[in-house]
Amino acid sequence: MSLDTDSTPDSTPDSAAQSARVGETTASGPAVASSGLTRGLARVPLLGRVTRWNRWARLAALAGVAGPGLVAANAGNDAAGIATYASAGSQYVYGTLFFMVLVTVALVLVQEMAVRLGAFTGKGLGALIREQFSLRATALALTCLLLANTGLVVSEFAGIGAAFELLGVPKWAIIPPAALLLWALVLFGSYRYAERIFLVMSLVFFAYPIAMILGHPNWGKVGHSLVVPHLQGDKGFILLAVALIGTTVSPYMQFYAAAGVVDRGTKVADYPLIRADAIIGAVFACGISLTIIIATATTIGGTGPLASAAQAAKALEPVAGQSAEVLFAVGLIGASALAGAVVPLSASYAIGEAAGVERSVSRRFRDAPFFLSLFTAQIALGAAVAMTPIDVIQLLIGTQVLQGLITPVVLVYLLILTNRRSVLGAAANGPRYRIAATVVVVGVAAMSTILLVQTVLSWFGLG
Amino acid sequence: MTSNTMLMSTTAKLRGRRVQLVRQATATRSVRETLVSLAGLTGRPVLNPMGDEVGRVVDVVARLYGNDAYPPVTGLVVRVGRRRSFLAASAIGQIAGDRVRLSSARMDLSEFVRRPGEVLLGRDVLDHQLVDVDGVQVNRAADLYLAPVGGRVLLVGVDVSLPTLLRRLGPRRWQARATPERVVDWQTVAPFAENATDGPAEVRLRSSRGALHRLRPAELADLLEDLGRAERQQLLAMLDPGHAADALEEMEPAELENLLREAPPERAARLVEEMEPDEAVEALRDLHTDEREQLLTRIPDAEAAQLRGLLAYPEDTAGGSMTTRLVTAVRDQTVAELRAELATSAEHRTEIDAVALVSADGRLLADIPLFDLAVADDRTTLGELADWLAQFGGHDAVQAGARLGEVAEQLVAARASSLLVVDEQQRPLGRILADDVLDYLLPARGRLHFRRFLQ
Repeated sequence: MSLDTDSTPDSTPDSAAQSARVGETTASGPAVASSGLTRGLARVPLLGRVTRWNRWARLAALAGVAGPGLVAANAGNDAAGIATYASAGSQYVYGTLFFMVLVTVALVLVQEMAVRLGAFTGKGLGALIREQFSLRATALALTCLLLANTGLVVSEFAGIGAAFELLGVPKWAIIPPAALLLWALVLFGSYRYAERIFLVMSLVFFAYPIAMILGHPNWGKVGHSLVVPHLQGDKGFILLAVALIGTTVSPYMQFYAAAGVVDRGTKVADYPLIRADAIIGAVFACGISLTIIIATATTIGGTGPLASAAQAAKALEPVAGQSAEVLFAVGLIGASALAGAVVPLSASYAIGEAAGVERSVSRRFRDAPFFLSLFTAQIALGAAVAMTPIDVIQLLIGTQVLQGLITPVVLVYLLILTNRRSVLGAAANGPRYRIAATVVVVGVAAMSTILLVQTVLSWFGLG
Repeated sequence: MTSNTMLMSTTAKLRGRRVQLVRQATATRSVRETLVSLAGLTGRPVLNPMGDEVGRVVDVVARLYGNDAYPPVTGLVVRVGRRRSFLAASAIGQIAGDRVRLSSARMDLSEFVRRPGEVLLGRDVLDHQLVDVDGVQVNRAADLYLAPVGGRVLLVGVDVSLPTLLRRLGPRRWQARATPERVVDWQTVAPFAENATDGPAEVRLRSSRGALHRLRPAELADLLEDLGRAERQQLLAMLDPGHAADALEEMEPAELENLLREAPPERAARLVEEMEPDEAVEALRDLHTDEREQLLTRIPDAEAAQLRGLLAYPEDTAGGSMTTRLVTAVRDQTVAELRAELATSAEHRTEIDAVALVSADGRLLADIPLFDLAVADDRTTLGELADWLAQFGGHDAVQAGARLGEVAEQLVAARASSLLVVDEQQRPLGRILADDVLDYLLPARGRLHFRRFLQ
């Protein structure tokens, strides 16, 4: 064999088949994935040369190793997210669509800043905040994160409870074992297999775009609402708007996205790829959110706030008919279980990183006590609160409001960090970007403040 | 051991432990009174000998890498009115936990200008990453402790404990109290700080170098992976290239690729040069063509040519994963001569596990495992040894183009730990080691970090 024929690895049919084989391995074992994503994407032209079956395997592999930006943004479409979007559709029909477009822009900007920080410094957001601000400022940001995340964990378990109630199982019988199972899965290492099952289950929500089309919305009105600003002064609308921001731009996502970029050992040279991933992820996630709003608006629009999970399931009727509730329940269980592990873990990770302590789920309690206790505490607290007899949908939306209030705090840190040349050097925000990002942060903060003022006024009967 | 003696030894152990704890507590108390917490000191008043406040401490300046075992404090950055000025260490009379007293009424205040090797402890070191060489982990400095020793104030230790972080979050009066719970001796710490690396390298490496060099390559690789980008490059700069290269060989490919990209080309080239050829090729393969060329042009010609040759083989073949580190011998060499030759290649001990016996025209005759060399008589010639070995079956070798899967099967069949790679004329090109095949066969199991949740 002469050396020349072998010098270009991708040119022989054999090596193409070999790469496809590697792709398949990726789909079944997560391990190769860390470098698989970037390499996979970088060598996408290869797709054309492999057989159709292999191509699907490769695509599945690529989806399986979707970048941190994509995963982070789509994690927003969990139990709480679905409740909020469905509520927006049922209460204000198409009224919130324009607002969601703005939120999409905000999410794109914010996620991009987060992955840029991760890619260029090799450090997570928690660590950067501690290095660049005072310890108390760090504590403030991380307390906010912990608070918002615990709220989210509550909502994830509430989501699991609600899903099982749709299937006829009372929530007090399902939440404790579910919490225990999830905790054990993460700590004792078999979570990565379960994670795939959850992921597949949550794909049920991809039925929403189909439901939207089958539901025959008034496309003219949809288009109009998407483009023409619509703002309502009443408290309910503002509350929902803040909730929409909270569920779409949630603080943990930024921590998660930055940590994900760092943890994959992504390189500066790959930054365009990372940015693309973050932007596509954000746009894609918001696209799904929009279809949920439109689908619910078409089926139960104008009936007032969402009252139960069963109502949210109604929007899936055009797709699933009688079994809409089962379909919805399956998706809800998958999404909630997925986020139920990832959310508390990402908070523990961010805090552990900032504190500089040992952090890994593969360690035992003795080796990483702080990290694992934080994780355990969030799960335990979340499950306990979810057990109390509360209105699930209201709780879910309440969590999003809390997130909406905390988001500005995290965004301000993010903005300052990405503005600093001492941190990012040449990759720091340029003047135009700085203005855009500042507008977004101020806008989000303003929404939150309005809500806060309204809430306080209403305590005194003035609202 | 009977239960009785076990009980006795347990009691003895417990007693010993208690004695030790008491001793430790006493020591801690006396130490605590002399230690000054950096976090507590910032913001505290600077008093003149009369006890009047003249300013407030903003930061502490120390010469991080000097000739001293512990870095001496060279001065304070003090806020006087609205100005930030530098107060030289000579003017300091006494540093206590919550105030600084000056030695004379005359204060010589000047604008603070950083001199080479000087760092602002509060801004550059506190809360930043550092490597704890003793515990082999990357930590964050929760507090720094200063101690007055013989007329000077020295930086003696780093606190990395969680309670200390909580103390710093607490009320002001807690902060001045040192809480040395998990303090790492400054000498076993490799700190990273802006401007700390100025000055001649030999001097600045003094304190932590020895400790760093005692680390195993895999430990060092873990540390490198845990560090931020800038810190990672600083740590690399502290190591000598040979030691660093050993660590790089243990790193995950993606991380290694990053690291080589970020490093200044000269240093990256030096590291690649020091790495074993097969590992170097694996690293180079992941880089873009132009980046690879940039590195290769900085490597001495002979080695660069060798690497280029290896790069020509596809990644998943025997040629693409082999090491070119070969020991060859001819028939009439004696075992003693060969052993003497091997003794000079001790640094490549992980790459050599057999010797290729070749004919005069370079063709492979036999592959003699080290075991057989070790037990053979000194005066035996290798030809005789090979003939004797032939009774156990012929030698195995693979073609450079063989897929790694085939290589694995052949390795198993031959029950060997490595196989020679030969060209079409049966001339040895290199050797493929079992661990390279293992790397290929096993899914790259990263440490089960956060990462698996992101996949």
